[in-house]
Amino acid sequence: MATEFQDRVDLKTDEMIINMGPQHPATHGVLRLLLNLDGETVKHVEPVLGHLHRAQEWQGQNRTWFQYQALIDRVDYLSGMFTSWAMARACESIDGMVVPPRAEYLRVIVGEMNRITSHLLWLGTYLIDLGAMFGFPFYPFREREKLFDLFEEIAGQRMMYNYIRIGGVLRDPKPQWFDKLSKFLDEFPDRIDEYEAIVTENPIFLNRTKGIGILKQSVAKDYAVTGPCARCSGIPIDLRKDKPYSIYPEIEFESIGYNKDGDTWDRYMARILEMRESIKIIRQCLAKIPEGDIIAKKQAAGMRVKAGEGFAAVESPRGILGCYVISTGTDKPYRFRWRNPSFCNLSVLPELLVGAPIADIMAIFGSIDVILPDVDR
Amino acid sequence: MIPNGAEVFKLSRLSIAWLSIIFGIVWAVCWSIGVGLPMLLEGQFGERVTLINEILKAVTPIVAILVFIPINAMFMVLIERRALAIFTVRKGPNRVGPDGNLQTMADAVKLLLKEDITPTGADAFMFTLAPILFFAPSIFGSLPLLAAVTNNHDLFKILNLPTGIFYILASASLPVVALVMAGWSSNNKYSLVGGLRSAAQAISYEIPLVFSLITVCLMAGTLDVVKIAQQQAGGILNWNILGGGALAGLNQFFAAIISGQGADKALAAFYPYGGLSYVAALVLVPCVFMSFCLYLTSACAEINRIPFDLPEAESELVSGYNTEYSGIKFAIFFLAEFTNLFVVASITTVMFLGGGDNPIPPYLLDKFTPFPQMIAALRETPLVKDLHLINPETLFATFWVIAKVYSLVFFAILIRGTLPRFRIDQLMNFGWKRLIPLSLIIFVLVVFARGFVISHG
Amino acid sequence: MSTETKPPEPQAPLPAGQYGQFLSEHGINSERLPDSLGAETIVLAKQDLDSAIKLLRNSSEINLDLLITISGVDMADSIDAVYHLWSYSHKGELVIKVRALKTEIPQDQLPTVPSIARFWPSANWHERETYDLVGIRFTGHPYMRRILNPWDWDGHPLRRDYKQPVDCLNDKNPHSFR
Repeated sequence: MATEFQDRVDLKTDEMIINMGPQHPATHGVLRLLLNLDGETVKHVEPVLGHLHRAQEWQGQNRTWFQYQALIDRVDYLSGMFTSWAMARACESIDGMVVPPRAEYLRVIVGEMNRITSHLLWLGTYLIDLGAMFGFPFYPFREREKLFDLFEEIAGQRMMYNYIRIGGVLRDPKPQWFDKLSKFLDEFPDRIDEYEAIVTENPIFLNRTKGIGILKQSVAKDYAVTGPCARCSGIPIDLRKDKPYSIYPEIEFESIGYNKDGDTWDRYMARILEMRESIKIIRQCLAKIPEGDIIAKKQAAGMRVKAGEGFAAVESPRGILGCYVISTGTDKPYRFRWRNPSFCNLSVLPELLVGAPIADIMAIFGSIDVILPDVDR
Repeated sequence: MIPNGAEVFKLSRLSIAWLSIIFGIVWAVCWSIGVGLPMLLEGQFGERVTLINEILKAVTPIVAILVFIPINAMFMVLIERRALAIFTVRKGPNRVGPDGNLQTMADAVKLLLKEDITPTGADAFMFTLAPILFFAPSIFGSLPLLAAVTNNHDLFKILNLPTGIFYILASASLPVVALVMAGWSSNNKYSLVGGLRSAAQAISYEIPLVFSLITVCLMAGTLDVVKIAQQQAGGILNWNILGGGALAGLNQFFAAIISGQGADKALAAFYPYGGLSYVAALVLVPCVFMSFCLYLTSACAEINRIPFDLPEAESELVSGYNTEYSGIKFAIFFLAEFTNLFVVASITTVMFLGGGDNPIPPYLLDKFTPFPQMIAALRETPLVKDLHLINPETLFATFWVIAKVYSLVFFAILIRGTLPRFRIDQLMNFGWKRLIPLSLIIFVLVVFARGFVISHG
Repeated sequence: MSTETKPPEPQAPLPAGQYGQFLSEHGINSERLPDSLGAETIVLAKQDLDSAIKLLRNSSEINLDLLITISGVDMADSIDAVYHLWSYSHKGELVIKVRALKTEIPQDQLPTVPSIARFWPSANWHERETYDLVGIRFTGHPYMRRILNPWDWDGHPLRRDYKQPVDCLNDKNPHSFR
C-alpha cells in the first residue's frame, strides 16, 4: 500500500516534444522549431531552417549581373531596397564607379521609406503574435499602403522594387512625388502617436513584453547580433554611423536604442523611435536633394563588373545586410555570398527561449524581427 | 464626424434588420406552437385536447431556444466581423447577399457540408462527445433566464426555478469537462495544452465569478432570477449595478418629491439607521459596481474571449482544443462559443442591468409622456385581447433586454478589437492574487453593509 | 551566358599589414593578399586558424569580435573558407582566407578546415551553411549537418562542378513539364 501511494506522489513527468511549425500561424512563414517542453516551459530548442530555401547564391553565380539584380529583392522581401543597395554598393566599389549625388539622396530616401514600411509590418505582426488578433494590427498597414503607393509610382512595383541599380537608381521621381511624400511625412508622426497611445503603455502589453527575452550584451556579441536588437542590448553598432556610406555623414540623426535592458519592450520602442528618426532623415534629404543625373552609367543586359572581390554592407531594418562578391570581369558573378541579418539574429533564439513558457516563444521570436526568406535565401 | 460613418450606418441597419428577423421568427414560432395551435385545437375539439395543449405549451420554450440559437449565432458572428472591420479600417464581409449580410449563412452551409474528419489515434467516442457536451449546457443552462428576460411571460413561466442562478452557474461549469475531453481525445499536443489551459483557467475564474453573483443574490435576498429581475423594476436607480438596490430609497424619495407627498417618510423607510445607513449605501454602491466589473472580467475568461482566450491562442497553440475539429463538430464548437457569449450577456443584464426594465423611472415616464394611455389602448386591440399575439408587459421588457444584451455583446467585441492576450501564468496570477481576494473583500463588505439598508422595498 | 566564367588569377605577394604584423608578433605566419575594398586580406594555414582567431577576438587592441560571415568559395585550384571579421567597437575589418588545395584533397572526400564554432557560437550556423552549400567539412563542429538543403541532398550546390539533379520540373529532363 505504502509503495503504491508513494508511486502516486512521485508523479513521473515526461518532456514533451512539439514541432512548432513549419505550418504554424505565428512562425512568420516557415520556420520550424523543435521544442522540448516540460509542462509549458521550454527546455531545449532547435530551429530547423531551409523550408524557404530558393538557392539565391546558386542563382547568383548562374545569372548575369543584370538578371540577378531583379532577383535579389526576393532575398528580404520586406526591405528590398536594402538588398539592392548592398549589391549596388559592392559592385560599384569593385568597379570604382562614382554614384551621382542625386542618386545617393534618392537611395537614402527610398531606403528610409523602406525601413518605415518594414517596421510597420513588424509592428502589426508582432501585435498579432501577442494575441491582439483583430483590432489594432491593421492600423500600421494603412500607412504602409500609402508608402507602397509612393513606391509604386517610382519603381512600378509595391514590394519587389528593383529600383536601386548598379551605378544609381532606376528613375527620377516627378516633383509631385516629393510633395506627396512630404505630405505623408507631415501626418505620419500623428499616426505613430496613435499606435503608441494604444500599445506602449497598455498594461497587458507591458506584462507580456517587459523583462521578457532579455538579450545580454555578451550573448549578443557571441552570436553576432546586429541592428535594433543589438543596439537595445547596449552595443552601439549602426553602420550608418560607424562606417558611414552614401550621404549619411551629411545627415543629422541618432541611432536608436543604446544602453537599454535589451528586453522585448525595448526592441519595440527602438523600432518605434527608429521610424521617427527615419522621418527626420527623409525630411533632411528632401530639403537638400540636388539636381543632376541619377545613374552613373546606363545599364544594359550584358553589363560587366571589373574583376575583384569585396564585401559591402548596409544597415537594413534588421541589422547589417551585406554581400561578398567575387567578380572575374565577366557578365556573371563568380561567387555571390549574402550576409543576412535575420540568419545571424535567429541563431541567438535558442539562448533566449530556454526557460521561457510557450506563450513567450512568440513574444520573443517576434521581437527579434526575423524574415524567413532572409534566413533561408 | 466619424471617419467611416457609412460603415457604421450599415452596421446599425444590419443589426436592426437582423434583430427584427430573428425575434420575429422566434416569436412567430413560439406563438404558433404555444398560443395559436392550442387556441385552434380548443376551438375545434374543446376539452378533449387539454393534455395536448399542455404538452405543446411545455415544448414551446425548448423550440424557441433551438430556433433562436443558430440564427442568433449567425447574426453575432456577422456583427462581430463587421464591427471588427470598422475598428480596423477594413471593409468586412461584403460579397454574399446585400452588403454581405448573408455571409455567415453561407459559412454555416459550408461548415455543414465539409468533411468530418476524425484524426488517426483519436479517441473517436470522446472526440464526438466533446462538442455535444460543450454545446448542451449553453442550451439547458440558459432556460431559467428565458423566464427572466421575457418578464415571466405565460409561456416561459414554467422554466423558472426558485434556485435559478445556482442552476445557471452549475451548468455553466460543465463545458470545461468538454474542453478537456476535446483536447485530450484529439491526439494533438497543441489541443492537449489548450484543454489543460482551459481547465486551469475555468477553475480559477469561476470563484470570482460566483462571488460577484453571490453579492447580488445577497442584496436581493433570493436566488430566483425572475424575482431578481422584477425587483429591479422602477428605473435606473433600482438596478443592481447601482448598489444592488441600495439606492431604491433614493428612487422612492424622488418619486415622492415628484408626486409631492411623504418625501421624508420614504427615506426613513429605506434607511432606518440614519447616518449609518447612508454610509452603508455609499459603501454598497462602489462594491456592487466592482462586482459587476469582476463579473464581466471573469465571464470573459469563462467563455474564452480575448484577452483571456488562452485555450485557443492562435499564435501559440494554432487553435488550441479545437485544432483537429472540422465540419459540423467545429460548427458546434463555434456555435456554442457565441451562444455562451450571449448567455453571459443575458446573465449580466438580468443580474445587474435591471432585466427588462426601462432606465427611465415610471414616475417620470407616466407623468410626462403618454405611454400609459398608449399601453392601455394597446391592451384593447384584438391582437392582444383575442389572439394574445402581443403581450405589453413582455414586449417592452424584451425590447430593453435586447438593447442591453447586444450592447454588452458589442462591448465584448470592442474589447476583442483592442487588447492583446495575457500569458498563462500572468492570467493565473491575475485570477488568484487579484480577482479572488478582491471578490472576497467585496463580499464581506456587502455582508456587513447590507444590514443597514433596506433594498428593493 | 555569352562568356564562360573563369576564376580570378593569383596575385604577387605583398608586405604584411596591421593584423598580419600583430599575428606574426604572436608567432603566427600569414600571407597577405591584395586588400578587398580597403579591408586587409590574409591567408592563414589551417592549423593556425584557431589560435589566430582567438587572439584577434580577445586581444584588447585588435578586438575583432564581430564575425560577419563565413563563406566558402570554390576557386580554380583550391576551396577557400573566407572569414570576415569586424569589430563592434571600432572600424577595423579583416578578411581571413583558409585554403584547402584541391590537389591535397583525397579522392571522394571533402576538404577540411578546423571549426571555430566551439568557442564562437555565431560561427555555428555559418559553418553548417558552408558545409551544406560548398562542401567544406569543419572538423570539431558540434553539429555538422546540412542546414538549408534537405538532409538527404546529393552534392554541394555551390561547387563549380555541381551537377543539377534531374527531376520532373527540370529543363535537363527530357520529360520535363516545361
